[in-house]
Amino acid sequence: MNTNSNAYTIIYTTLVVVVVAAVLAFTAMKLKPAQSANAQAETLRQMMSAAQIKPTDELYATRNADILKIYADNIGQAYTIGLDGKQNGTLSTDLKNIGLVDNLKPQNKAIKDGSEATLPVYVFKSGVIVIPIYGAGLWGPVWGYIAFQPDGKTIAGAYFDHESETPGLGAKIKDEAWFREKFAGKTVEWGETPAFRLEKNAEQSGAANTVDAITGATMTSKGLNEALNVWFNAYENHLGTGACSCALEEQAVTPNEEEE
Amino acid sequence: MDKKLKETILNPILKGNPITVLILGICSSLAVTVQLKGALVMAISVTLVTGLSSLVCSLLRNSIPMRVRIIVQLVVVALMVILVDQVLKAGEGTYAIDKQLSVYIGLIITNCIVMGRIEAFALGNKPIPSLLDGLANGVGYGLILVIVAFFRELLGSGTLFGLRVLPAAYVPNNLVILPPFALILLGCIIWVHRAYDKDLQEK
Amino acid sequence: MEYINLFVKSIFVDNMIFAYFLGMCSYLAVSKNVKTANGLGLAVIFVLLFTLPINWVLNTYVLQPGALKWLGPQFADVDLSFLSFIVFIAVIAAFVQIVEMVVEKYLPSLYASLGIFLPLIAVNCSILGGSLFMQQRDFPNLGEPVVYALGSGIGWYLAIVCLAAIREKMSYSNVPAPLKGIGITFITVGLMGMAFMIFMGIQL
Repeated sequence: MNTNSNAYTIIYTTLVVVVVAAVLAFTAMKLKPAQSANAQAETLRQMMSAAQIKPTDELYATRNADILKIYADNIGQAYTIGLDGKQNGTLSTDLKNIGLVDNLKPQNKAIKDGSEATLPVYVFKSGVIVIPIYGAGLWGPVWGYIAFQPDGKTIAGAYFDHESETPGLGAKIKDEAWFREKFAGKTVEWGETPAFRLEKNAEQSGAANTVDAITGATMTSKGLNEALNVWFNAYENHLGTGACSCALEEQAVTPNEEEE
Repeated sequence: MDKKLKETILNPILKGNPITVLILGICSSLAVTVQLKGALVMAISVTLVTGLSSLVCSLLRNSIPMRVRIIVQLVVVALMVILVDQVLKAGEGTYAIDKQLSVYIGLIITNCIVMGRIEAFALGNKPIPSLLDGLANGVGYGLILVIVAFFRELLGSGTLFGLRVLPAAYVPNNLVILPPFALILLGCIIWVHRAYDKDLQEK
Repeated sequence: MEYINLFVKSIFVDNMIFAYFLGMCSYLAVSKNVKTANGLGLAVIFVLLFTLPINWVLNTYVLQPGALKWLGPQFADVDLSFLSFIVFIAVIAAFVQIVEMVVEKYLPSLYASLGIFLPLIAVNCSILGGSLFMQQRDFPNLGEPVVYALGSGIGWYLAIVCLAAIREKMSYSNVPAPLKGIGITFITVGLMGMAFMIFMGIQL
């Protein structure tokens, strides 16, 4: 058989493409559920690490199924709010729609456009309130979860992640535990601009709403600072009015649940 | 037969090591050596990809039309890489590592070792020796990767596989984590290798 | 301003060679003298400049999760991102092949100086790497991938010409025998990388 004729070449390449596409589509379909479960468990780990439910290392050593259980045991309620701070939806605690990173991107856009947003709020049984943040780092997105004490002002813990910051520099926001641990005990000064400062030598001022930026990672720190302030701003109408707002929401949620 | 097979397997690991002797596949290798765990996963992924693509290309060797040879090979390699990537994403323990390796898993496609072995060996040999040749080259590549990662994680973070080995008094050397040091370290490995095996020295 | 920032960053700060080690194989193999380094560098700029925007368009309108929305609402959930590696590499290989044929036919003098490098480029990691970084970095419009491609290409060009110049000089120096050739080259590239690190944190 002449393997160099035009017809043979065309049939051969078509066949290769079809076989490869079929194999890929099949594996992608088969593995999709496991991949989504991984992504979901990752989000829950980061959220619960911020909320200090368990130490970060322990959460990362726990299997997916157990992570879901720990979350179900600890979550009090989850809902979404609009930019006016009013609740505009409930998030099912049955683990769908739990604010995966992909969902944060459109919300970030909605905040910047001032359009209709559905910002997630997670209230754990311990009273800790977790909100996400999202923004642009040096190259790719940076995001994270900030946990507040029930007063809605003091930060209980934080967790940050990124997609492609420089290893050894910007990547420290995730890799170095001391960085996220610095946020615990700090406060967000609602009503001030900026409400929080992540800047070079900011801690020297002694103010409780400051954390030092990472040396050598100017752009990543700047991006994270902006992400924090943009998202804090968006949640100000909800959290900034004091502890009462969350308690009020709790009453508002109950009838909703009964309707269902 | 046995002797030739042994040669096929041992040669790529020492005398004809793809990284230090043939200078292939450096692109994706250095960036993933900050931590030992990532390097190990990368090494295994590359070994699987080189082995399997060599096997498939060797099976196809008599039927591939010469004109579209390179593209067909690239498609086969890309298929293997995507499969590895998808499996890593789906595995519970490997998901975080896949995220950490980010684009470098995809870059295995253009890793010169894979294409180089297909062109140089798989197209002219039977499937089983091709598979072994691919696997052995992957191991030779992985070996260097792991050595580099060992020093970088030990000196750069004071840990191995994420566990602290150096006393807390050791201040991690930040330079070691940064990209340029990987190159210098590799230069030193080549130095040691060639001082030991004088045949490899360049005139 | 955004564009200038991205341009400078992709040349100096996130240099394809010094920060990401992309395209190392041909970088080391073809940097023995300035003239050939020049040719390969230009070819990389050229191929990056075209393949990266093409792949951006494909990624935005075909591959991304939800990218097929323009076909109708029933396609909004389609996620073809698992095909991206294969599509990107196919675009690159096809583009390189076509350019090679066109250049050979119509511009024989250019082919003589540049053409021999084109086949090398299909398997140059910096080209595929550029597309993969583009996918990860979510550029909002077509302008940014073009600027990013140009910047990365120039960064790569700069790196290879600098190294070639150093290696030309170094061939006269007395290097310990085991380090001769590739060993000392690695160390040189490492030192160059350190020098490039002073650009980190640059801000425009």
